[in-house]
Amino acid sequence: MRGYGSTLGLYQHGQGFLYRTPLSLKAVASLACAVAVVTWRSPSTTAITLTVTLCALLIGAHLSPLRILRMLAPAAPMLAILALYQGLAQGWLRAFTVVGGITACLLAARAVTLTTPMQSLLDGVVRLVRPFRVVGADPERFALALSIMLRSIPYLAGLFMDVREAARARGLERNARVAVTPLVIGAVAYAHRTGEALAARGLGEHDGDRDRGMDPHDPGA
Amino acid sequence: MQPTEKTVAGPAGSSLPSSRKRWDTTDLSLVAVFAALIAALAIVPGIPVGPLGVPITLQTLGVMLAGVVLGPARGTAAVLLYLVAGLIGLPVFSGFSGGFGVLAGPSAGYLVAFPLAALVAGLIAVVIIRRATRFRASLLFLACLAASLLTIHPLGVAGLMVNAGLPLRDAILIDAAYLPGDVLKNILAALLAVSVHRAFPRLLSRRA
Repeated sequence: MRGYGSTLGLYQHGQGFLYRTPLSLKAVASLACAVAVVTWRSPSTTAITLTVTLCALLIGAHLSPLRILRMLAPAAPMLAILALYQGLAQGWLRAFTVVGGITACLLAARAVTLTTPMQSLLDGVVRLVRPFRVVGADPERFALALSIMLRSIPYLAGLFMDVREAARARGLERNARVAVTPLVIGAVAYAHRTGEALAARGLGEHDGDRDRGMDPHDPGA
Repeated sequence: MQPTEKTVAGPAGSSLPSSRKRWDTTDLSLVAVFAALIAALAIVPGIPVGPLGVPITLQTLGVMLAGVVLGPARGTAAVLLYLVAGLIGLPVFSGFSGGFGVLAGPSAGYLVAFPLAALVAGLIAVVIIRRATRFRASLLFLACLAASLLTIHPLGVAGLMVNAGLPLRDAILIDAAYLPGDVLKNILAALLAVSVHRAFPRLLSRRA
C-alpha cells in the first residue's frame, strides 16, 4: 500500500479572522457565493463575489497573492479554455462574468477547507444530518460510513497503483479489464472484512438509546 | 460466515415499525468502500483531459459499478456519500479539489446526475442478475448505457448551459466528445460487474 493519505490534508495552519469564524458561517458564505453566481449571472455579481472572496483570503487568512494563484493551478487549464471560448464567441465581458464567477466559487470553497481542520469539517456535516433523525436518518451510522470511506481511499488508491503496475509488468496495461478487475474484487472483499470487523465489535448496529446522554454538544451542559 | 438470509427473509420485520429494511454492518461498509472506490478512481490520474477541461477519468466507471454491483439503494447511497464528501471540501472530485465551488463549475451537471445514474443502473441490474442466466454482460452493458443516456448526458448538457453559459448546440457538441469514452467505460463496468457477481454471488441475489 502506498501513501496517498497526504492528498487528503487540505488544512493549513495560519492566522487571521477566517480561522476564528465558525464553520457554519463560512459554509453558508461559500454556498451563498455559488448560489449568487449561478442565479444572478452579471458582471457586477461576479465583480462583487470575486472582490469579497479575494479580500477574505488576503486579510482573513493572511495569504499572499502568489499562494492564491497557486491554489487555482489545478483548475487553471479549464478556466483558460473556457475564458478563451467565451471571449471569442460571446465577448470578453461575458467571459469575465462566467470565468470570474467560477473562480470566485472555487476560491470561496477553498477558503473553507484551508482554514478548517478536517475533523471539524466532518463533525460539521454530521451535525447537519442530526435534524434528519426524524425521518429515519442515523447521524452516528452516517459518521461511521464517512470515516470508513476516508480510511479506505488511501488503501484503494494504493491497490489501484499496485494492480496497474502488475498489469504493466505482464504487458497488459492497455487491457483495462485486467487492470481494474482485481481492484473491484479487492474492494468488495475489503468491505466484507470491514463489515465483519465492525459487527464483531458491535459498532454500527442499530441501538437507538446508545447515544442518549453521550452527546458532547448537549446544549444543557 | 453465516448467511444472513434466514434472519432477514423471515417474518422478523415485526420488531420494527418502519417498513425500511435495516442495513447490517456489511451493507454499511460496502456503501462506504464503494464511495471510496469512486474517489480512488477519480483522483488517480487516468485518461488525458478532454475539451473544456471536464476531465475524462474513471469516475463515472465507479458510479456505474456502484449501481450494478450494489443495486439501487446501496449504490445510490454510495454515490451520495461520495458527493457529500466532495462537497464539504475533500479533494475527491477529478480535476479540481472539491467544495461547494464545483456547484458553479461546468461539470456540476454531471455530478448531480451521478446518484440518479447509479439508481437507474441499479434498478435494471437487479432484474438482470435475478432473472437472466445468459448474456448477462451484454444486458448489464445496456443497463449502464440506458442510465448514462437518461441521466448523465442530459443533466451534463444542462450543467454546461447553465454554468459555462454555452448555447444548447455547443453544449451537446462538447458532451458528445465524452460519449465514446462513456461507452467503453460502460462495457468495462458490465464486464467487471459479471466478475464481481460471480465472485460474490450473494451481493444482489440474497434479498430475492
